Amino acid sequence: MKDRRPLYLMAPALAWLTAFMVIPCLLILALAFFRRGLYGGIEYTFTLENLALVFDPLYAGIFLKSAAIAGLSALIAVIVGYAAAFAIAAAPARRQPILLFFAVLPFWSNYLVRTYAWIVLLNREGLITGLAQWLGFDGELPKLLYTESAVVVGLVYNYLPFVILACYAPLSRLNPEIAEASQDLGASAWTTFRRVTVPLTFPGIATGFVFVFVLSIGNFVTPALLGGGQFQMIGNLVYAQFLTANDWPFGAALSMILIAIMMGLLTLQTFASERASGAKREDS
Amino acid sequence: MTQALLSLKDIQKYYGSARAVAHLDLDIQENEFFALLGASGSGKTTLLRMLAGFETPSSGQILLGGEDISRLPPNRRPINLMFQSYALFPHMTIAQNIAYGLEMDRLPKAEIKTRVDEMLEIIQMSHLARRKPDQLSGGQRQRVALGRALVKRPRLLLLDEPLGALDKKLRGEMQLELKRIQSEFGITFIVVTHDQEEALVMADRVAILKDGTLLQCGTPHEIYEHPQSRYAADFIGTMNFIDGVAEADGLRAASGQPIHAPRPQGIAAGDPVSIAIRPERLKIGAEGFDNTVTGTVVATAYQGLDLQLHLKTDLAAQPILVRLTAQDVDDTPLSEGSTLSIGWAAKDTRVFKA
Repeated sequence: MKDRRPLYLMAPALAWLTAFMVIPCLLILALAFFRRGLYGGIEYTFTLENLALVFDPLYAGIFLKSAAIAGLSALIAVIVGYAAAFAIAAAPARRQPILLFFAVLPFWSNYLVRTYAWIVLLNREGLITGLAQWLGFDGELPKLLYTESAVVVGLVYNYLPFVILACYAPLSRLNPEIAEASQDLGASAWTTFRRVTVPLTFPGIATGFVFVFVLSIGNFVTPALLGGGQFQMIGNLVYAQFLTANDWPFGAALSMILIAIMMGLLTLQTFASERASGAKREDS
Repeated sequence: MTQALLSLKDIQKYYGSARAVAHLDLDIQENEFFALLGASGSGKTTLLRMLAGFETPSSGQILLGGEDISRLPPNRRPINLMFQSYALFPHMTIAQNIAYGLEMDRLPKAEIKTRVDEMLEIIQMSHLARRKPDQLSGGQRQRVALGRALVKRPRLLLLDEPLGALDKKLRGEMQLELKRIQSEFGITFIVVTHDQEEALVMADRVAILKDGTLLQCGTPHEIYEHPQSRYAADFIGTMNFIDGVAEADGLRAASGQPIHAPRPQGIAAGDPVSIAIRPERLKIGAEGFDNTVTGTVVATAYQGLDLQLHLKTDLAAQPILVRLTAQDVDDTPLSEGSTLSIGWAAKDTRVFKA
């Protein structure tokens, strides 16, 4: 007989997820196939219009824009985060926990507060402009706040700790003798990095990238605050459908596609890291 | 003598104020199988890492074929290291692991392939060429690590505890295998080990390191039969020690019994000494020896080829270990509690300053 205890232990979590995650998601899924009522609300007749509307160039464009911004943010976060994780993993062992603590510290403060902090930094009378003037720069600085770049900066900043943690794990587990072996066999430091260190820590890079991408593509707070009113990402669009346009079925259709993209990426990433660690397990 | 392949000239290495290697001079010849033997903390690993290029000596010179390589980075030295952990690249196949070093030399693809195939043949891994390191046994990984270092045809191959991770039986086979490969390739091998038996079996010459200094360097026979210090005598093989004192006309054990032994230079009357005898130099009998002692057998250990006895005597606080061959024992009934006389020759006795 199989031991059923693990099942009992998982039951509370499963019940919670079912009640507050799976069922709402199914409701959203169902909602996407109904018509919008004339004065808001829902008319319970089946339609595919909502889904079709998602692929309207106007909305598909917002999807692509969101994906581009999320992709750029994930790329920058991975480069910056990997470098930081590399430096932490190379530090003396007893100093690593404190460095990691500092890297993750911003995570413990409120997301809104952190995003508002960027407004203080970036706005026209903000710290960066002030610093430039104090250094003697008297021309006109380009607009910093309420731009796409500001959104990317905000997203990178917010999700960087994820990447650092995701990359630190495989980097710190890497046997230092493997990189030494590469050098011993004639490779330069750069070749060693490219051909040995990066491939061996790729699962961490993939995890970091997918996390930042998935969290960014659906984000609506950062684009709203740092992107200004005129700039929309898919999360803002969903937000507007539910709360201002009162078109729940279209909002549901947008959410569904968004969730499908995220699930697809997360599945890919899980599969990739499974494969990477699968080979290692065989020898033990 | 011709110029040595490798010359270490007054090498020192400090970590902060801690000294890892002190005033070390050593010459290693072309085509030699050399062992650096020492306990942990003896500086042997530091020395190896300086040869590979992962550490830089604080002072002194490392000459390879007359050229100073002390400051050369590891990737520019014609020296390869077989790591203790093997450090195979887990994301590459066996063939890719072996090809890596040749790719770094930017050799033509065809030549790389020929040399990799050749090496796979030599280490008997051709059938597993497409496997990943994680799918191999410890002994197979060890051979791949050796092949990966050897395929570059280095002038000097360093091996860090090469057999440490293998079980006892495999270790015995690999000791001979390493010796065979070394003489076949004609490459100088330097093995770092804490295992004195391994060093004696494999090496042409052995250097004993202690606290970062070179205690003694010589052939396995010299090291075993003529240790120059009490530490070396104790470290290599098994040794019985008897505390004693030097007198004007000879030596006397702490028990008062005179001991006949060649007295080395530099020991003056009144100096405390350690008198050392190998267990296999002790024979049964009370007559015809330079030295004899009688004691009680406190333990026996039968090991097929030989029998080991622990004999409690007046000479030393520790029981004296006697190693007898099977024939010696046949006609003497020996059991725990029986009384036994043993003797040994003066020429088999070594004397050290205590």
